[in-house]
Amino acid sequence: MKLAQYVKFRQEKFGGVLFETRSEKVFALNPTAAAVVREIQAGTPESEIPGRLKASYADGDGDGAQIEADATAFTRQLREQGLVEED
Amino acid sequence: MDDASDPRRAADGGNGSSGDFAAQAVQAVTPGSTTAGELNAPLYLAWQLTNECNFACLHCIEQSGPGRAFRDELDDAGVFRVMRQACELEVPYISLSGGEPMLHSRFFDLVEYGAEHGAQLKIETNGQYLTKENCQRLKDAGVRSVQVSMDGASRETFNKMRVRGDFDEVVQGIRNIAEAGVPLEINYSPTKFNTHEVGQAVDLAYELGAQSFITGKTMYTGNAVKTWHMLVPSEEQYREYFMTLRAKKAWYVFDMNVHFHEMGLLNEMRERLENPAALLIVLPNGLVKLINALPFVCGDLRTESLEQVWGNFQRAWKDPRVANFVAELENDPGKTAELHKWIYV
Repeated sequence: MKLAQYVKFRQEKFGGVLFETRSEKVFALNPTAAAVVREIQAGTPESEIPGRLKASYADGDGDGAQIEADATAFTRQLREQGLVEED
Repeated sequence: MDDASDPRRAADGGNGSSGDFAAQAVQAVTPGSTTAGELNAPLYLAWQLTNECNFACLHCIEQSGPGRAFRDELDDAGVFRVMRQACELEVPYISLSGGEPMLHSRFFDLVEYGAEHGAQLKIETNGQYLTKENCQRLKDAGVRSVQVSMDGASRETFNKMRVRGDFDEVVQGIRNIAEAGVPLEINYSPTKFNTHEVGQAVDLAYELGAQSFITGKTMYTGNAVKTWHMLVPSEEQYREYFMTLRAKKAWYVFDMNVHFHEMGLLNEMRERLENPAALLIVLPNGLVKLINALPFVCGDLRTESLEQVWGNFQRAWKDPRVANFVAELENDPGKTAELHKWIYV
């Protein structure tokens, strides 16, 4: 999975923005979403992204499962919005 | 890792709403409704490379034309400095317009530089220089789209509007860019003598391979101030114009984006005051405007960096003179004739 041809990502203080330049739509991302996009840009396989985020950011007090679920939901949204495409 | 990049804040939505992240992680907005103040840099540069143009269009908001290049346009070093800074700030989207941008002596070098350094580029051209060779070069550079102005579906109408332009040559240019495989957008400016052709023009745009057809109300500024009596459509014409466009939008809903702004300038300005777009208008001499439809200049890229100008831009929108000007537009819509008398804020 990679960002679609006309999609640009930029890190921001609040997380990040995805700019789909064909439709000229901007998608404001919160920090988890931005972290998912960085993993996509780094070439991490989709199936490994939730686990990697969980390993990197879960603090052991029970939010790891939530991070995994969020990341999975977000990658699904990216696909539904046409913001990613297969390699 | 600082707090701002800690995804755990997002897991609870950044606002304590754990569990509804998926609903709020991806929020689509237009650049116009992006809160510019929260961004590190602009999302969009609309860069008028030169004021020189081979056409002398009746309605040109920039008063471009043959021999109309500014005397103080950015030199080669200046244009590459601006492009380099835009790429370094990761400005994702840059449009190059004019005048006619393809007349700029370093046009292709700039396009290739910007594209190689990650910018998505849109070229706004009159179409006259879209030879097969040039179109292939734009394709090879990876240009995101080319927008061509085609304000008519017939030679007679187009040539009346686009003085010195030739409909057949422009349509050939449009065919060339579509054949090269570069995404194509068609722009249409309504006047009293072309509104009746908009339906045919939308159909022609589709036949020519356009992905988008874009239009809005023609602005009372630039050359249009002198030619307004020849240009301005009646309310009835505008009503039929937008009615046709709504029908075409529905007809082409799965095939081509028919995009039009019915909102008048004043309403748009009110909206922008509330929420400025993350968009800088760069003039050929490096001055930066808040927005095309206002006369305010917020920076000078000959003496300031793009990053500095971005800071200026965000402060300038809060300058009371900007809000006052918009308020005065309510009583005097003719103030748009003054957009080229720049006011530094």
